[in-house]
Amino acid sequence: MSTNSTSTVTGGVGGAGGSCGGGGGSGGGGGGPCGACKFLRRKCAPGCIFAPYFDSEQGATHFAAVHKVFGASNVSKLLLNIPVHKRLDAVVTICFEAEARLRDPVYGCVANIFALQQQVVNLQAELSYLQGHLATLELPQPPPLPPPPLPLAVPTPTTLSIGNIPSGTPITSSLPGTYDLSSLFDPMVQTSWALPQRAMDLRQYGPSTGSPSVGGGGGDGSDLHVLARELLNRHGSSSSSTPMACSKASSSTSLSK
Amino acid sequence: MISGRCAACKSQRRKCPSDCIFSPYFPPNDPQRFACVHRIYGCSNVGKMLQQMPVQMRAQAVDTLYMEARWRIEDPVYGCVKLISQLHQNLNDTESELAKVKALIAFHKLQISQVNELHQPDLDASQSNVEQFQFNYSTQNHYPWFIN
Repeated sequence: MSTNSTSTVTGGVGGAGGSCGGGGGSGGGGGGPCGACKFLRRKCAPGCIFAPYFDSEQGATHFAAVHKVFGASNVSKLLLNIPVHKRLDAVVTICFEAEARLRDPVYGCVANIFALQQQVVNLQAELSYLQGHLATLELPQPPPLPPPPLPLAVPTPTTLSIGNIPSGTPITSSLPGTYDLSSLFDPMVQTSWALPQRAMDLRQYGPSTGSPSVGGGGGDGSDLHVLARELLNRHGSSSSSTPMACSKASSSTSLSK
Repeated sequence: MISGRCAACKSQRRKCPSDCIFSPYFPPNDPQRFACVHRIYGCSNVGKMLQQMPVQMRAQAVDTLYMEARWRIEDPVYGCVKLISQLHQNLNDTESELAKVKALIAFHKLQISQVNELHQPDLDASQSNVEQFQFNYSTQNHYPWFIN
């Protein structure tokens, strides 16, 4: 496993992720104090634990969020207990959580988790229905009955329940070996969080915004051909892309175990 | 009641006032809850966060803080982010599958419409032939080139 430790996570990440320099543990060198020490208004010691991860330019902004939520000493203790080669990833995730918590002081990251879970459930329901519909098309059957209303359009009043969140232990055993942090910085995903977050303020889930709504029926034959090819080209290429690669190279890190 | 200190005040070894901001959310019978939150966020940060939000939202906030703290303790590097990553992956996989199924449905509808157009004049008379054609076609699994 190797982390993309040479990548530089700049401050223009879209609100998530630390602003980091490449390797090196030096602090307070020719470039001045690191972002953390600049924020804390203290002298940046040569072995400053934050220096590799919070540059003096935009690192201070990100560190401000981290300090407000976690506190500098808590983060320092956390990083000290983590191997050096994993600290960059830890800083990125800590910054992400801190900024999510500042955006939504009540639910923080958990809002994202619930929104994603709801999207997955909705898509799986739609998939099940369409697979049934496909089965009827493949068999010589009479015309199918009008489809039942899809769950997508029905807001489900759901109270936020901790029981709905998977508990800690199953996570470690069922996760893939690579974690794609680039998805944290996906603006599409971040915008889709906003709606469920506001809905969750009212203890309700709104309609999912993540499901593709592509009309695939009827119309001219050539349009259907084009549509079918477009769907497969669009989704087939996105699913085959490796988690390690990130188009936003300047603003994300990819991880591997 | 002196023995009624909340878990936070017990941990901090201080007197628990009657208006303690932590006491509704950190009962004394669950010290682990406050220990997790304190270890990751710190007592003062949690107190400030709770003070800045409406009272009716504080219980939910403490629950989410506790969950995130637990995830972070279990995985100091990724915390709850690895669950988010897994969900993203699930979402991508489901979207891919959905796209494939929609493409297949579009293909089948196209085939049916073409067959119907071909046999339009004789549709009433040869409906059984169309059904036979569809049956034959479907059993041969002749999907277009872009369908795996």
